Amino acid sequence: MSSVSVSASASPSSNLLPSSPSPLPSSDSRLRPLRRLSQLRAYTQLHFSSPPQQPQQQQQPSVASSSSSSTNSQRVSRRHTLGSRVSWFSAASTGPDSSTSTVGTTTRAPCPESEYQSTFARYSSVFSPSYRGLELDLRSQPSPTESSNPPLRNETATATGNQTQEIMARPRGSSQAVEARPNGEVSSAGNILESPDPVVSESPCTSSPRPKQKATIRFFPHQDSHASSRPSLPFIPISRTLPSDSCVIRVGRYSERDGTPVANPTEPSDAPVGFKSKVVSRKHCEFMYLNGQWHVKDVGSSSGTFLNHMRLSQPNIASRLYTIKDGDIVQLGIDFRGGEEMIFRCVRIRIECNRSWQQQPNEFNKNTENLIKNLGKGDAADYSGCRECSICLGSVLRPYQCLFMAACAHVWHYKCVSRLIHTPDYPMFQCPNCRAYTDLSAEVDDTNDFEEQEESKSASAEDKPDALEPARSETHTPQPDPNAITQPSRSSGDERHPETRLPVEAGLAANIENMRLQDLDASDDNSSQPRAPTSNPDSVPSNANNEVPGWQSLTQSPSSAQTRPAQLRAETPVRSESSDENPLTPLNDSGPLALDGRAAMP
Amino acid sequence: MGSQKRIAKELAELAESAPEGITVKLADESNLYIWNVYMEGPENSPYQNGTFHLTLTLPTEYPFKPPTVSFRTKIYHPNVTNDDKGSMCLGMLRADEWKPSSRLAAVLQFARQLLAEPMPDDAVEGRIAEQFKGDFARYEEVAREWTRKYAVRG
Repeated sequence: MSSVSVSASASPSSNLLPSSPSPLPSSDSRLRPLRRLSQLRAYTQLHFSSPPQQPQQQQQPSVASSSSSSTNSQRVSRRHTLGSRVSWFSAASTGPDSSTSTVGTTTRAPCPESEYQSTFARYSSVFSPSYRGLELDLRSQPSPTESSNPPLRNETATATGNQTQEIMARPRGSSQAVEARPNGEVSSAGNILESPDPVVSESPCTSSPRPKQKATIRFFPHQDSHASSRPSLPFIPISRTLPSDSCVIRVGRYSERDGTPVANPTEPSDAPVGFKSKVVSRKHCEFMYLNGQWHVKDVGSSSGTFLNHMRLSQPNIASRLYTIKDGDIVQLGIDFRGGEEMIFRCVRIRIECNRSWQQQPNEFNKNTENLIKNLGKGDAADYSGCRECSICLGSVLRPYQCLFMAACAHVWHYKCVSRLIHTPDYPMFQCPNCRAYTDLSAEVDDTNDFEEQEESKSASAEDKPDALEPARSETHTPQPDPNAITQPSRSSGDERHPETRLPVEAGLAANIENMRLQDLDASDDNSSQPRAPTSNPDSVPSNANNEVPGWQSLTQSPSSAQTRPAQLRAETPVRSESSDENPLTPLNDSGPLALDGRAAMP
Repeated sequence: MGSQKRIAKELAELAESAPEGITVKLADESNLYIWNVYMEGPENSPYQNGTFHLTLTLPTEYPFKPPTVSFRTKIYHPNVTNDDKGSMCLGMLRADEWKPSSRLAAVLQFARQLLAEPMPDDAVEGRIAEQFKGDFARYEEVAREWTRKYAVRG
């Protein structure tokens, strides 16, 4: 079953990939720190929640050096899995694997250290406490903290892959999935809880000085579409970003005493979540973030907490922790008296977590950004057949056609996708390509100033190669915080006003432009990351060696980066005589343009 | 209708480069919504050498609603109902799993893949599924026989 869905989803999206070799490399160098961070995030995130990235990472070693067999199998299974569920994944995964990564590797081919590097990179986290902290914080994967770990890690990863595959083959809690899940859960949770997992043992010491991305989780109402059951309790989507990892989100019956529950605080918050249903116990369950993963735990509810249809514990008995992942369904209680009255309905929550990779720059939204930039420029050549509206299968690069871009960077003609927008579920919108849910009514986040500052800062820093290192470490530290804060709301903002989001998108995408390189070079980044703090003598030359040529050749130097937008500007007036471009071009280009304007300023 | 445009496009693509072992035709040139599909039994399966006639029916809401696939040719398969409807159970075609971005080419490939590798855990014919799991040789035998009987044209 999954195989087909893979091909189904892969076909449209893989088309997109060929366009990736022509990114606007301009902002590459300047956004380095930012980009790196996000890459890091993407990498670490993907490590667990989104396997495709991992294959890329893993490919590095396999190309350069050795450890292949398990890598390959893992890769296959993972891609499989992913594709069956999240279509653009296949884009992200197949693309870099097949085309881009080869580009990357060949570019760096002259570098003799590549083998060392990649190996080094994989375990480089050892060298940088802060970096590792970040990784741990973000990610769940048993991260190899010692170089002696690789086999173990591969196995784990493979196992996870397989497990996910089983589960994902039937995403919506069919009986099979339910069966598969507990088993997998047990083992993985078991690892985390019982075994002296490196992650567990490491996290305490690394957690202190890190620049970290805060853990975010969102709850969306879920309707079991093929169940005969009544609709579950409706509620407004709830978003929580933990102020600190030790916080716990308590979920229970809404009570007047607790005051009005805050649905979506803009600040990090661990405010309890309340549901107005009698079947929800006052203390029902808790969500917590441990070792880079979200967990749920029944705290002795009477009518039960169900994870993908599996009851976590007997009535009034607390359960152990269960890992949850994006897309899981958590049900609180069971309909009482047939659930005819709203107050007796159970609560079904669709979990969204570990999604920040999607909100971060990545291969896919980079492509989208490129696409948008070329919108209406008549330069459909690069994209013809690559960017199609998955609804009508036509190109989205048609002039005079309104487009709708979801937060996941999938684009359709508004006309085509509108009936998916204006549904009874509005403002919830589910991406027909990747099934990501977004809340179209979410507030627009206007806190992206920071990021732009960040960009200009890094840009100016990168103008002077010497300043590169310090700048990197400087920018690195403050970076995560704001990002973490802005991220959830930003994404929601995106959904709401596609237009407003463009600048952000562009900014994001600007970061992303490097993602291709970076994806392949995840290892490089990892290795270069620690370099600043540790100044490891070995790593320095190798990094310098690989980065500089790699970067320079695939990207453009800051100076050329500036010329490029200049060209764009020059082009714009000429073309925009056709007037339809006027509204689009400035907006769409505002990312790079703004960036450049700023950078050019003293 | 937007759906017609998409369907026409998919049909054209399928006509141009049909997946292996699959031929697609409109049942009625004036109606884009019903397709006749001729599917060759995959090699190394008991359906080998058979040509199966399927009907692919597209809802007017396509691609927002999934198409339905049914076998006109009788087939002995755990995932195809053994009645005059011959409905095929395809996970990706279930309403809640269907994605508008899925293509018909993929659906058909999937259907053919299912011939090569039945999914007894997802069966609509429980008896055949059990046989498939418990007595594979017998299953193969019957499936081959049915193929010879119904799906091979003299």
